[in-house]
Amino acid sequence: MLTLLRIEWYKLRNYRTFWVLGILYLICVFAAGYIGYRIEKDTLEQSKELKMIAGTSFSFPDVWQSVSWLSSLLVFLPALLIITFVTNEFVYKTHRQNIIDGWSRTQFISVKIVLVLILSLLATLMVLLTAVIIGFLGERAFSAEDIQYVFYFFVQAISYNALALMFAVLMKRTGLALGIFLAYAYFLENLVGNLLDWKIKAKPGAYLPLNSTDNLIPFPFIKNVTRQLLDQPNTNLLLVFAAAYLLIYLFIAVKKFRTEDL
Amino acid sequence: MAILTVEQLSKNYGPIQALKNVSFEVPPGSVFGILGPNGSGKTTLLGIIMDVLKASGGSYRLFDEAPTEKHRQQIGTLLETPNFYHYLSAVNNLKIAAAIKGRGADDIDRVLEIVNLAQRKDSRFNTYSLGMKQRLAIGSCLLGNPEVLVFDEPTNGLDPVGIAEIRELIKKLSKEGKTIIMASHLLDEVEKVCTHVAILQKGNLITYGHVDEILVNEDIAEIGAADLNQLYTAVKGYPEATQVQQHDQHVDLYFRNGTASLEQINQFCFGQGITLNHMRLRKKSLETKFFELTKNPK
Repeated sequence: MLTLLRIEWYKLRNYRTFWVLGILYLICVFAAGYIGYRIEKDTLEQSKELKMIAGTSFSFPDVWQSVSWLSSLLVFLPALLIITFVTNEFVYKTHRQNIIDGWSRTQFISVKIVLVLILSLLATLMVLLTAVIIGFLGERAFSAEDIQYVFYFFVQAISYNALALMFAVLMKRTGLALGIFLAYAYFLENLVGNLLDWKIKAKPGAYLPLNSTDNLIPFPFIKNVTRQLLDQPNTNLLLVFAAAYLLIYLFIAVKKFRTEDL
Repeated sequence: MAILTVEQLSKNYGPIQALKNVSFEVPPGSVFGILGPNGSGKTTLLGIIMDVLKASGGSYRLFDEAPTEKHRQQIGTLLETPNFYHYLSAVNNLKIAAAIKGRGADDIDRVLEIVNLAQRKDSRFNTYSLGMKQRLAIGSCLLGNPEVLVFDEPTNGLDPVGIAEIRELIKKLSKEGKTIIMASHLLDEVEKVCTHVAILQKGNLITYGHVDEILVNEDIAEIGAADLNQLYTAVKGYPEATQVQQHDQHVDLYFRNGTASLEQINQFCFGQGITLNHMRLRKKSLETKFFELTKNPK
């Protein structure tokens, strides 16, 4: 596997899209956290009462959830990276050349899955670092309580990235895969989810593929208010659903790549 | 021992049958040409052997073994078009190919030298001309000096000098004892470099074997006299002629390559009391032969 990864590194090393999107993601994650922190600080300084009601979201331990939630708005960036990188192989037929030169089909698709894992870990690492830095700017002392939100972000990142890989393998064309991925992630699933919740009493919308990971990290601000308004779906159940969907994405991607004409 | 054994290979694209029960063997050390017009199934056949396409039926073996990716690593293959990472230089592209083949990067300079790209080795692939891309693809095949090479239309996009260079290269590789499998729609290319040939048409294998047996050249003696019917009757039983045909303006006598003698024919006819008013020696064109083999009216 290390040899396979070294070859993927050769491909990525001079791939500008990868670096531009990657660095953009890193900057945005930190900026989102920092801007959130500044806005909250400036707002709360004006009013003691507001501070009582809203509480501070960017101090330990709440900072884990706040930064994870803000970063989850940017989770599509690594997914776009996966889509462009993988569809590039199809567009320039280098996937065929890799097989011709002596990779098995399984090797080709499995190294892409490992890449999804690595990118998700790196994306999460940035969230962790940002949360730590901003947490230390805050008022309270370091606390690892609620750090599970960073892990939930990881679950969300790997879900989005694996879904992106699946769409890339199914669609093969960069524009098509990007369009369908974004339309699904930001419109279609919400539409279907709302319809389900409206028609079915048990409210299954929260357990749809991407929703099941989005809902792991609830809206973190003015908690004292929102906690009463929204009922949070069962976290363990969400994790089970997320894991099942993840396996389905990967299964479809592997199956498709191993059996079709390339 | 055979380098490649193809058994009853079939491939359907929906209702279209691109390959129909094709079987043949490629002996070691041969330059094996797969000849056929566009769309005859040449690339489909090679694609299946390289595992980028899945066969609908039949099987194939590489080096007398069930094929795996390890076998492909020992074969240098150019399939259809040069496929490289557009944003990488020639050297970086070859680094990827060499690593996949499980070979070191130390062979890269040598192959770039062979295909005359040493000066442009650090240019990005998307700045290359069509001919340079093709040469890079051939260079990539040569990485690690494999014993077996597969070329699909190797002279595609090359200028006349480039074409001559590649043909020389193929001959040289063949002399070194390498086995070369080459698909082409260019008959004279196959005739010039191949020792064996398989002819494909619309997915059917029409014939295959030694190139001298399949692409036999024939001499045609074209003769005319005032009375063509009389002439035809006289030469109908001409010894050595493989075939005699009467046409509107002349009579054609077919001979094996290099055995037709106009002098002897003239003498023969004179002996029969016929004076010839027209004599011409034609070489049967390879294209005619090819069309005949593939039963396509010209």
